Amino acid sequence: MATQTPAHPHKDDGAVHAHISSTAFYVGVFLALIALTILTVGQSYVDLGRMNLIVVILIATTKASLVVTFFMHLRYDNKFNALIFVSCLFFIGVFFAYTLNDTERRGELDADQNVKVLPKTGEDAPGGFVQPTPAAAGGEHGATPASSGAAPAAH
Amino acid sequence: MSSEATAAADAHDDHGHGHHGPKWLAHHFDTPAQQFDAAKLGMWVFLAQELLFFSGLFVAYGVYRSWYPEMFFAASHQLDKIMGGANTVVLLFSSFTAAMAVRSAQLGKQKATGNFILITIVCACFFLVVKYLEYTHKIHAGLLPGRYFHPHAEHLVAGAPALPANAGSFFGIYFMMTGIHGIHVIIGIGVLIWVWIRNNRGEFSKEYFTPVDIVALYWHLVDLVWIYLFPLLYLV
Repeated sequence: MATQTPAHPHKDDGAVHAHISSTAFYVGVFLALIALTILTVGQSYVDLGRMNLIVVILIATTKASLVVTFFMHLRYDNKFNALIFVSCLFFIGVFFAYTLNDTERRGELDADQNVKVLPKTGEDAPGGFVQPTPAAAGGEHGATPASSGAAPAAH
Repeated sequence: MSSEATAAADAHDDHGHGHHGPKWLAHHFDTPAQQFDAAKLGMWVFLAQELLFFSGLFVAYGVYRSWYPEMFFAASHQLDKIMGGANTVVLLFSSFTAAMAVRSAQLGKQKATGNFILITIVCACFFLVVKYLEYTHKIHAGLLPGRYFHPHAEHLVAGAPALPANAGSFFGIYFMMTGIHGIHVIIGIGVLIWVWIRNNRGEFSKEYFTPVDIVALYWHLVDLVWIYLFPLLYLV
């Protein structure tokens, strides 16, 4: 057994060798967390417009990083555990990106359908869309001008 | 291979579980380090699942906040920043004491480990009491999810922006996120008590402190979620 690939060279005696941080270090991390909490509460009284949310997320993420790195020992832990955590964050990012990419763009031009859609009702939004003239359509399709603006019929 | 099988058979003949290593070492692990790493790996996979589970709520929050920013701004002013801030400090402190409990366990200091776990439990209970006060106020003020949303003007925060008719969806998200977080706090108290009792029985040592470590990891996750919940709900 001892000749197996040592993932942790210092661990081949089989005993647990966890990194032990000092009390002063943990107190320091805690004080940093409190300072960041005061910062984020203070920031809430200052209106930064659209930057508000970004600043809030940045401060919260800094706090979360402190907790994960030091309180949860990920800094000194098996790197595979860090990989699990980071890939989890990646998939949360995918979740956010794909969902918001839909919900944020429902009122915008849908290039595939060539219409604007109202997010509330799903109906074509008024304005902005000019019906293509029969000449501009250039006989691309045999569709009549009256039906060309409508979304394809769903069956 | 055959010698291992024979050794295992011998161990069973002896009716002894002291086949190799100390009694807390499960027989399917070769070394304490292997058992420790396996436990931590399992816990991190579980924590990743927890984060993905919570992420659904955060995505819902993101979608609704971007659709109705003014409604979020108005509704969030009905939450008490002081209470939320106090709970944040308490939870951060409990995370610190949980980390200190693990440190004491790593050093084999049984009494200190127990005390730090107890402080963590007290903080968790304090958090729930504050949460209870907040919920009571919301219920009295009619600030409830969806169709139960019937705000009573006399109970609302004075000087706050007027609540739009769809503010019920903010409180739906508020109660769902803080509620599920609160359930995690309650479960956290349960496992902290469990690990406190085991520590009192003297089951842990410098060589074996895995349950303290694992439970602390869970507690840090509860703290982690709240770190985002507090500014997103209270400080819009």
